[in-house]
Amino acid sequence: MTIEVIPADNYTIEELTELYNQTRVDYLVPMPMNADRLREYIHDYDVDLHHSCVARNADGQVLGLSMLGFRHQTGWVTRLGVLPASRRTGTGTALMDSMLENAEKLGAKEIHLEVIKNNDPAHTLFLKKGFLEIYTYLVMRRAPRPVTEPPTSEVTWLDLDNALDKLDYYPLHLTWINAFESMRNSQNMEGLHITLPNGSSGWLVYRNTELKLRSTLSHLIIHTEQGDPTEVGIQLLSHLHARYPSHDTYAENIYDHDLHLPAFHTLGYFNNFSRIEMRRPF
Amino acid sequence: MARILYIEDIQDNITFVEKIVKSRGHEFLFERSAESGLATAIAQKPDLILLDLGLPDADGQTLSVWLRSNPSLSTVPIVVLTAWTEEVARQTVNAYNLNGFLCKPFTLAALVEMIDSVLGKEPI
Repeated sequence: MTIEVIPADNYTIEELTELYNQTRVDYLVPMPMNADRLREYIHDYDVDLHHSCVARNADGQVLGLSMLGFRHQTGWVTRLGVLPASRRTGTGTALMDSMLENAEKLGAKEIHLEVIKNNDPAHTLFLKKGFLEIYTYLVMRRAPRPVTEPPTSEVTWLDLDNALDKLDYYPLHLTWINAFESMRNSQNMEGLHITLPNGSSGWLVYRNTELKLRSTLSHLIIHTEQGDPTEVGIQLLSHLHARYPSHDTYAENIYDHDLHLPAFHTLGYFNNFSRIEMRRPF
Repeated sequence: MARILYIEDIQDNITFVEKIVKSRGHEFLFERSAESGLATAIAQKPDLILLDLGLPDADGQTLSVWLRSNPSLSTVPIVVLTAWTEEVARQTVNAYNLNGFLCKPFTLAALVEMIDSVLGKEPI
């Protein structure tokens, strides 16, 4: 089959949304979007549509797409998908080759992506293209429920600027979606800082989306400055959920060995699925 | 006869469930997004909501919170029809106070049994 790969900005956001959703109809983790959500995604994650790609056949029928984010000489491949009827035709490989070529043209020294654990066809493709596994992350949820143990620590709530100040000094690696630029771009980031009577302290930053159907907390990043991460984590999450008792919560890309995991589980979070971060140098 | 609302964005799934629901003599309504699903649920007061967890504007978990927080819908049974694994579906149903789940792909018999069970009817 002849496969042509063209820049994604030849298509409208609505067309890209429809194509993306069609590539995901039978996906391991169902994540359809509407045009507004895709527009927000492109904005928040610095997706470059001109260097993102749509694959089509000789008749001009679309086969799949892939998007490329770019920051600081690093590329990020996302939303890669092929229509079910067009799989095993080399479309995924053609899209991936274009992503690598475009990232290199932009001056990337490294390219990142995340693949859902057990998505074997995609994982195999990325290994073939020279990507290496780096870390595994958890995606967790928490339904709205009362906080059973009221927090006892002293809390200071942080606005966007103060939350960004904290995040700027986060000492560990963050994936693309939780990175400083993504959180700054979203403009709906908040946070809190606590100090416990025993001197322990820490902070938590998150996105608070207050839309009609999406009163949600997401993109949680938690850090213990001093003390036991479980104790500090429980206090931080208890403050958060006591303040927002009706908010559904979605914690994405929490490192699978994060020392705060017991705190998440104590507050009622459960695992939805795992992602593997992979990277390839140029 | 019961009024059953299915909130799902994939046409093949809607067609499959519609045939089963109508064959059992129930009224069938459907919506393709969380926002329209919520509006129809409020307006039509269904006896049962079948809910997909992957919707384009907000996911099914978040929608279930909104459905449950509406006084007129707080006791309407909600059954999740999902592509998630059984373990995740079970945890979701428990955490979000829902009434049951079926993991896709499910059989005609499994859906009939679930509907009858949740509506409190003996299977035919």
